[in-house]
Amino acid sequence: MPGFTHLHTVSGFSARYGASHPERLAERAFERGMDALALTDRDTLAGTVRFAKACAKAGVRPLFGAELAVSPPEPEADRTETSVRRDRRRTPVRGGAFVDESAPRVTFLARDGARGWADLCRLVSAAHTTPDTPLLSWADNHADGLTVLLGPDSDVGRALAAGRPDRAARLLAPWREVYGDALRLEAVWHGRKGTGPGSLRLAARTVGFAAEQGVRPVLSNAVRYADPGQGQIADVLDAARRLVPIDASKELDSGEAWLKDAGAMRHAAERIVEAAGFRREAAHRLLEQTQATAAACLVDPEDDLGMGAVHFPEPHLVGAGRRTAQRALASRAAAGMVLRGYDRRPGHREYWERMHHELDIIAHHGFASYFLTVAQVVDDVRHMGIRVAARGSGAGSLVNHLLGIAHADPVEHGLLMERFLSKERVVLPDIDIDVESARRLEVYRAIIGRFGTERVATVAMPETYRVRHAIRDVGAALSMDPAEIDRVAKSFPHIRARDARAALEELPELRELAGEKKRYGRLWELVEGLDALPRGVAMHPCGVLLSDASLLSRTPVMPTSGEGFPMAQFDKDDVEDLGLLKLDVLGVRMQSAMAHAVAEVERATGERVDLDAVPEGDPATYRMIRSAETLGCFQIESPGQRDLVGRLQPSTFHDLVVDISLFRPGPVAADMVRPFIEARHGRAPVRYPHEDLAEPLEGTYGVVVFHEQVIDIVAIMTGCGRGEADRVRRGLSDPESQGRIKVWFAQHAAANGYDAETIQRTWEIVEAFGSYGFCKAHAVAFAVPTYQSAWLKAHHPAAFYAGLLTHDPGMYPKRLLLADARRRGVPILPLDVNKSGVAHRIELVSESRGAKVWGLRLALSDVHGISEAEAERVAEGQPYASLLDFWERARPSRPLAGRLAQVGALDAFGANRRDLQLHLTELHRGARGGRGDQLPLSGGRRTASAGLPDLTSAEKLSAELGVLSMDASRNLMDDHRTFLRELGVVSAKRLREARHGETVLVAGAKAATQTPPIRSGRRVIFSTLDDGSGLVDLAFFDDSHDACAHTVFHSWLLLVRGVVQRRGPRSLSVVGSAAWNLADLLEVRREEGLEGVAARLAGAGGGQGGDDPEGGPARRRLAGSDGQPAPAGSAAQDPMERQRTIRMSTGYEMHPWADLRPAGEGPAVGRKLWHQSPGSAG
Amino acid sequence: MTILCVRFQLPPMYEAALPQLLGLLEEFTPVVEALPPDGALADLRGAERYFGRDAVQLASVIRVRALALYGVDCVIGAGPGPMLARMALRDARPGLTGAVPEGGERDFLAGKPVAALPGVGTATARTLCEYGLDTLGRVAAAPLSTLQRLVGARAGRELHEKANGVDRGRVVPNGVSRSLAADRPFDRDELDPGRHRRALLSAAEELGARLRAVDKVCRTLTLTVRYADRSATTRSRTLPEPTAHSAALTRTAYDLYGALGLQRARVRSIALRAEGLAPAELASHQLTFDPVDEKVRRIEEVADRARAKFGPRAVMPGSLAA
Repeated sequence: MPGFTHLHTVSGFSARYGASHPERLAERAFERGMDALALTDRDTLAGTVRFAKACAKAGVRPLFGAELAVSPPEPEADRTETSVRRDRRRTPVRGGAFVDESAPRVTFLARDGARGWADLCRLVSAAHTTPDTPLLSWADNHADGLTVLLGPDSDVGRALAAGRPDRAARLLAPWREVYGDALRLEAVWHGRKGTGPGSLRLAARTVGFAAEQGVRPVLSNAVRYADPGQGQIADVLDAARRLVPIDASKELDSGEAWLKDAGAMRHAAERIVEAAGFRREAAHRLLEQTQATAAACLVDPEDDLGMGAVHFPEPHLVGAGRRTAQRALASRAAAGMVLRGYDRRPGHREYWERMHHELDIIAHHGFASYFLTVAQVVDDVRHMGIRVAARGSGAGSLVNHLLGIAHADPVEHGLLMERFLSKERVVLPDIDIDVESARRLEVYRAIIGRFGTERVATVAMPETYRVRHAIRDVGAALSMDPAEIDRVAKSFPHIRARDARAALEELPELRELAGEKKRYGRLWELVEGLDALPRGVAMHPCGVLLSDASLLSRTPVMPTSGEGFPMAQFDKDDVEDLGLLKLDVLGVRMQSAMAHAVAEVERATGERVDLDAVPEGDPATYRMIRSAETLGCFQIESPGQRDLVGRLQPSTFHDLVVDISLFRPGPVAADMVRPFIEARHGRAPVRYPHEDLAEPLEGTYGVVVFHEQVIDIVAIMTGCGRGEADRVRRGLSDPESQGRIKVWFAQHAAANGYDAETIQRTWEIVEAFGSYGFCKAHAVAFAVPTYQSAWLKAHHPAAFYAGLLTHDPGMYPKRLLLADARRRGVPILPLDVNKSGVAHRIELVSESRGAKVWGLRLALSDVHGISEAEAERVAEGQPYASLLDFWERARPSRPLAGRLAQVGALDAFGANRRDLQLHLTELHRGARGGRGDQLPLSGGRRTASAGLPDLTSAEKLSAELGVLSMDASRNLMDDHRTFLRELGVVSAKRLREARHGETVLVAGAKAATQTPPIRSGRRVIFSTLDDGSGLVDLAFFDDSHDACAHTVFHSWLLLVRGVVQRRGPRSLSVVGSAAWNLADLLEVRREEGLEGVAARLAGAGGGQGGDDPEGGPARRRLAGSDGQPAPAGSAAQDPMERQRTIRMSTGYEMHPWADLRPAGEGPAVGRKLWHQSPGSAG
Repeated sequence: MTILCVRFQLPPMYEAALPQLLGLLEEFTPVVEALPPDGALADLRGAERYFGRDAVQLASVIRVRALALYGVDCVIGAGPGPMLARMALRDARPGLTGAVPEGGERDFLAGKPVAALPGVGTATARTLCEYGLDTLGRVAAAPLSTLQRLVGARAGRELHEKANGVDRGRVVPNGVSRSLAADRPFDRDELDPGRHRRALLSAAEELGARLRAVDKVCRTLTLTVRYADRSATTRSRTLPEPTAHSAALTRTAYDLYGALGLQRARVRSIALRAEGLAPAELASHQLTFDPVDEKVRRIEEVADRARAKFGPRAVMPGSLAA
């Protein structure tokens, strides 16, 4: 009895069509006794690599293919006869047109090894060249290495379904002409009635037609999901794809399209051949044909897809000329040595030796082309005048430094090549380069221009269903009320879809929703069923593929939607498995911000600042860093980092490197922070496990911080060499190999003459370190922009803020940066059409005896809804003499002009802001030919008053928040001062004098909220409030979550009761015990007076838990001294501790919901949440 | 303070009860203007003296009678003019008549939002609010010329007068019910044009039957399609001749629907409204030589009689029976 192979199977990579992941399909195929399985996703090969790997694991032979929409051959001869009058459908007034899925679909299977795969890639790429939906034109529809299945959805199948075998025969002819013997007719039976796809009659007609035409028939099940019972999910996917709700009265999914076993398929074959009028034995032949077709499709994942092999651009393209790449690399490195003067330095021998050593390693792997390629890209980028910096372990290589890829000198900073690449390591090294984010696409274009589209492609990034999207799509499919869908989806944090029900049970902020869970019926089940299915594809934000000219025959390419870059369908992991060289070009907003700041300084003062040549050890910069007012500085601006910086008190570049390395989950977990700080401030002695280890560890007071130090420790203790030591370090993260390494380490260290106690102590350090800690090369690469940005903040604050606001890096909303600027004494100049530029600019405000005060002029580009072209037009036309002049030359759209008037950008033209609006409206009407363009003027060029009431001060602020998303004229909390005084709220400024353990009320606009992983395994909500006088950092521990979590996530203005926690002169936070939505309270205050507020506070408004003024034992315990809560000691068992935690390999426990982007509106951006008074403008 | 604005608390679709309730008002004054579907304006200028009570007291009498006679509660507003009476109605609730005192018009209006003024729709209100004129007090304070620049010459003048409490409206006696409506909600997002047309057919049949029952014809048909996101599209069309003939109404309803070209719109309800009602005996009808038209009307007549005898579901179009 023959087995059965499914030739037509789609996975979830067929976006919004397939319901199972490729891994699941491969597993099920194995469980159901099949020895081969095809993957034929719709219009994509993106699932191929994952499928091939899963098949290898399950022991199933993979077949590769794709299902493509195909346009019919040439205009048919009988067009006039068959084509009915195509009445053009009216454009719908609402809801849009139906999604067109009328193109016939055909399945292609790769047959002849690499040739088949190349053909498949070509066809898929060709299908994606049509605009809108992928469609394979008939001209591209030919290939030698492919087998074609014409199923029920093909043009032939449709003709048969319509009962037109004559037409089917005519349509079959062109297919036969092209594919000849490789053509198959595919019969599918899903137990449907009638003659449509999936019906027994169509399947029988297909088999009969095949016999008549002499084409071989095959049987398939057109699989969409792995298991029976997933039909409902297929219905949801259909609805999401067609953008319509599920209609129960229409034909739904049959529920039969699962990966059936051979027995079920044999049964199907028997029914089909009987229905076709053959004897039962013919079923055997049908199955045999299917098996034979499968057997002919031989594509080997290793040999034919090129998995495991490496392809670099040809040497002549990267400046090697006719030399070999290795020769070219060696000579360039030597030239770099001379250029940087290392050959004349004392100790130049060390440099030479290291260079030759590295070149040896590179030659060993044959990676020379790779280094030359990256160097070429970096050179090109630099020539374009774009800031570029290498990041990652690549910074540890001297060759990289000599080629100009990495800035920092690895010898000087003690960075190791072995962390990056060694003879023992056989993975592709990766060098990441950072460029200015605003010009990232320019860099892509330059790379494509240099190497050509046949060698370069960007990398895809599948967007998968997470809980919010899943709820939206399922809700829409189930005809739920859109407003309700929105509410439900938004109340979830960004978690996986499969956790939806668990989250409802466990998360306190979802408790309300959990109560009404039953109302939504099947929703939750279906939401979880969509988990992690791809729902679309986007361009990966940084990966670029570089290969030799054979790229297009190894990977399918499609254009990206926006820029039309070629994009490989594979994601970044697939690409590595396929041996394609990926260069990560990251757009870093901070680089753009700094570039803008430098440009502004030069424009305004004529002074040229070379950031790369800023002197090290600038006292003003470190003074600023030590004050912990590092908002906006690269890497050190988060609340936790500000706390750490305050305690660490960095004074050199090396301190910054250490600081950045310490603020990682690993070091926090391994408790490296506290001993380090104790030792640094001389409160604890510096201890080394052994004096031999003093050299690698002395820079960090005996605490292990860097990967490089572990490598050195292992190398010194065991004498194994650094390359081997790096391999050992990588092995540490795996608990299994950890045991083996321990034995190996003890043996070798003992052989080197270390005593047992030393070995034990050292091992403990190495073990605790695990795979965490930080690569020093990374940290050095990070610390460079950190220092540069801090230097800018200390010396050119106005320009620095201009850069920040223009390119918006970092974690805080713009309005907070503005508040910070105001606090640091940078004058904020309002938007003015005569003075503002497209981007934020600096302006000289006053000058007295050489001391110049620079102000920050807000930018036009921050106006809501302004287009780039409009902003440029406005800026170009400056100055404007009058409103009419502005209207005529800048030609702003009417809403834009209104917004400009609201925020005072037109105040220079006289009259109040509402009068200006009226004039603008009339100008607008005039432009449409209603009236003349005569403007009522009073006194020359000033606009006359129309007697309308001006905006009140609160309305002006509201307009600023609405239009600019920033409170530009003053802090928004200033308006609520009286109420806050009534409540006795402590301002951020005065909080600095508060005692440890004091209970206080704080209030402010929420700036950032996080729930990061904490070593104790609890979920802690960290939030930052801004009240105009400074920032207040808040922490909510899980005993207060029931009462506070929802309020904290979903309100913008907060009033919080909490206990002051002090851990140093500059380190201070408030542990919250109750929280109220301040916007609500303000409303109550306005409408009902203080009595109303009292009633609200007495009611169930805020949290009632933890009223203990001392903060309760649990909280005192948790708030450790390291900026993060200390480990849960032996104190009383907390009720939350019984909940599940995720245990990491290092013994580091994580709350299952930690590190999620929390629900709610997140940081304050104004616009929507700002309370709009009835008279507010717009 | 002589004008009352009365709103009867009728359940929807019971506008047939309105004429009786108007009759009740006519016992007090002949000057009654119907505000279908469930309201009326009454001018009590003569009645106050005749009954020896003021308008607020009369309002209580009216309410008691409506409750006693028809079991229908009502809300009443009283004011010097129709506009003010209507606005007073907003502050009223059953048992408490809202009243605007004579001479206190400006104070009454000053604190109200502009949208509360009859005749100020959402668009005008939005325009006014955009310019900071969010309360009637501010509108009253703004110069007339500015108002006219904002909303146009005539509308500006009227707005100015109204905001200052000048109410030039009169109560114009008229007949009943100037429109009839039929609503067909769906219990899920409905995309199927077939079912949409069925809903239209059934609504048009209902409207026709109700019109013929009260011997009226309608001049205009309005289609309102409501969507899942609570928004709606409204289109209306004037019929070639005023009619109550179901087939003619259905044809127009289909045309209105077809013009929307809906494909993926998630429709939650379809409503038809017959407007411009007039007595059937005044309607003209274009005769044709085609006997079919004549036959269809005769069949309709018979069907109406059958329905009157055996209930509304006795005779209906085949496609609705399924």
